[in-house]
Amino acid sequence: MRLYNVVRYVALAILINSVFMLISALISAFNSESSFIPLLYSALITVLFGVFPLIFVPPTQEISNKEGLLIVVLSWFLSFLAGTLPYVLYGGPFTFTNAWFESVSGYTTTGSSILAEIEVLPLGLLFWRASTHWIGGIGIIIFVLAVLPFIGLAEVVLFRSELSNMVRENFRKRAGTAIRILAGVYIGLTLAETILLYVFGMSLFDAVTHSFATIATGGFSTKNSSIAWFKSPAIEWIITIFMFLSGIHFALLFTVVSGNLREFWRSSVVRFYSLAMVGGILLTAYSLKVNGIAEWTTAFRLAALNLVSVGTSTGFASADTAVWPGLPQLLIIYFMLQGACAGSTTGGMKSDRVLLLIKSFGQQLRRLMYPNAVIQVYMDKSSVRDDIVANAVQYIGFYLFIVFSGTLLEILTGLTLVEAFSGTVATLGGVGPGLGSIGSMGNFSAVSAIGKWIFSILMIIGRLEIFAFFIFFHPKQWSKKLTY
Amino acid sequence: MGLRLKMLSGFLILTVMLFLAGLWSVYELNYLSTSVQDILDENYESIEAAKLMNEALEREDSAVLILMLGRSHEGRKILHVADSTFTDRLNFAYSNITIPGEKESLDLIRERYNHYKQLWGRPVADTEREGNVDWYFNQVHNSFLAVKESVNLLINLNDRTMYDTASRLKEKARSAMMPGLTALIAALVFTFLFNYLIHVFIIDPILLITDRVKKFREKGLPYDVKINSKDEIFYLSGAVEELCYIAELDRTSK
Repeated sequence: MRLYNVVRYVALAILINSVFMLISALISAFNSESSFIPLLYSALITVLFGVFPLIFVPPTQEISNKEGLLIVVLSWFLSFLAGTLPYVLYGGPFTFTNAWFESVSGYTTTGSSILAEIEVLPLGLLFWRASTHWIGGIGIIIFVLAVLPFIGLAEVVLFRSELSNMVRENFRKRAGTAIRILAGVYIGLTLAETILLYVFGMSLFDAVTHSFATIATGGFSTKNSSIAWFKSPAIEWIITIFMFLSGIHFALLFTVVSGNLREFWRSSVVRFYSLAMVGGILLTAYSLKVNGIAEWTTAFRLAALNLVSVGTSTGFASADTAVWPGLPQLLIIYFMLQGACAGSTTGGMKSDRVLLLIKSFGQQLRRLMYPNAVIQVYMDKSSVRDDIVANAVQYIGFYLFIVFSGTLLEILTGLTLVEAFSGTVATLGGVGPGLGSIGSMGNFSAVSAIGKWIFSILMIIGRLEIFAFFIFFHPKQWSKKLTY
Repeated sequence: MGLRLKMLSGFLILTVMLFLAGLWSVYELNYLSTSVQDILDENYESIEAAKLMNEALEREDSAVLILMLGRSHEGRKILHVADSTFTDRLNFAYSNITIPGEKESLDLIRERYNHYKQLWGRPVADTEREGNVDWYFNQVHNSFLAVKESVNLLINLNDRTMYDTASRLKEKARSAMMPGLTALIAALVFTFLFNYLIHVFIIDPILLITDRVKKFREKGLPYDVKINSKDEIFYLSGAVEELCYIAELDRTSK
């Protein structure tokens, strides 16, 4: 393995962070805020680290699989570290643990926060917080590749490591083209949402930061009471629609933009995801109405935003879901686990895998009924290989195992069962808020330092699609002597 | 980019990192020293003035009791000195208003003190007030306690502000430490990175060229070194390759 190639591409990822730090510093300077120097200093440090390897290491077209994995994982970890700099240097509520938690939560687009008072933070720091979502949303590596089109083969390897197996399986486009499509859709959606939010009454700053958080399915708001602060049904519906769109495979969204609606509706995953969401929203709205929490129109709006928010692992809120009746809370937990479609920036198990699990159950039933028949699982009228089905089922099994292990560890740190379980599901799935004190109107400030570290590890495991995380830390992966 | 520039950029980056950290630390330390002076100016002196006011009040209270015992001369003498002290410290506190609510607090002290002063300003000895314990407890002592309470309010206000400022100072001390600590860690990591890149792109190629030249000279093996960077090492390798080619031609012609 050529470590210097890894250094070059990781440096590029860090350089992208520094650009956003610089923009945040400018916002701070414009508003004469105390966060200007911390942001500027962080930007300079990251620029220096980002530029220096580029001076030494020439660009390359050939990147091996191991190098690709190392680039992806190191880019994440070093971005987390770089992301803590503005927080730690600013001080206030940010101890190193808190800064790390906020940074990891931002980059992994989780949206869990340790901040009890968000609105007292300087605008520059709030912009940086939202930027970590946007950078992390599409993945630092894809970002790097989008601005560096000269990389040829490297794209394929990096892309393989960045996105889940499911995406690889159903993504028929060439990786280079795919990355350009993803970036295009991502930027396009962000711009469209920013304009709409601005038109419907948000300030430009809030519109940009909330768009960053929506499209990245992150959930960091600039307000303590999240979307509820704006008291605007129009804004709530815009955010709900964009959250829903951000949960769909970006390449499929591109087919819609290209005018190919048929291919979009042919996707069984999109149909499953949409129907599940609609069903969940209707049930939640019904429950809110019959329990006297809201009238039909309000109940429907509240159910749509809050359920789509957890179902796409965004984490915005327009109501305190911790005080909702049992049925909506159960649905929230289900959608936290399920997540949206692969190929988006959402977390969770992903609808694709859940659909495969359901289909494989049907396959098993038919196999038991007709032992001699050759029975395959079909998705979108094409058969799915058995190893892919097995992979999805194993993933779900392992996912649940991590949920229970995480819950156990968090209970040991002093959280209640509901908080530990919902917190684990929320951080592993990149959702953000859980239930109880860490619910949609709460925060993670009261969680112990150990608890915060466990949650942040869960966020990383979830973001790296579990297997990539464990492959990276498997000793045999790096057993061969490194060669330069 | 040439080797000289590459090396220089490394050292420059290190210097810039440390310079920026130093600059920021100086700024934070300067802020710290200013804040310490602010505490002294804004709060400590006001607290000292309030304490002297309290002391003067106590003496005035004793003087009133002396007056009630019929010893007018001694009592008035003590009252005169204590009143001067009180008024002087009150005026000083007025000239040192630095925190919100301090003026209102001083106004209250003045108002209550004027009322208190009115009570003992009138003759006491040889009047119905001499030895009148009821007058003392119902009017003088209550007024004395009211003035004292308002002086204590001023002390508390300044105490609280001093605590807040000290807490901010603690936070600032952390802030002053962070740039230095960050620069230290960054410089350390950067040194490792710099060292690694120098080894890979300068030391290792030189060793490789030396090894290949040695093998060419001793075993006649061909000189096959590929240098990707377009710097002095690349030109050096090219020149050595040319030299080996000439030497090879010379050897075969002999």
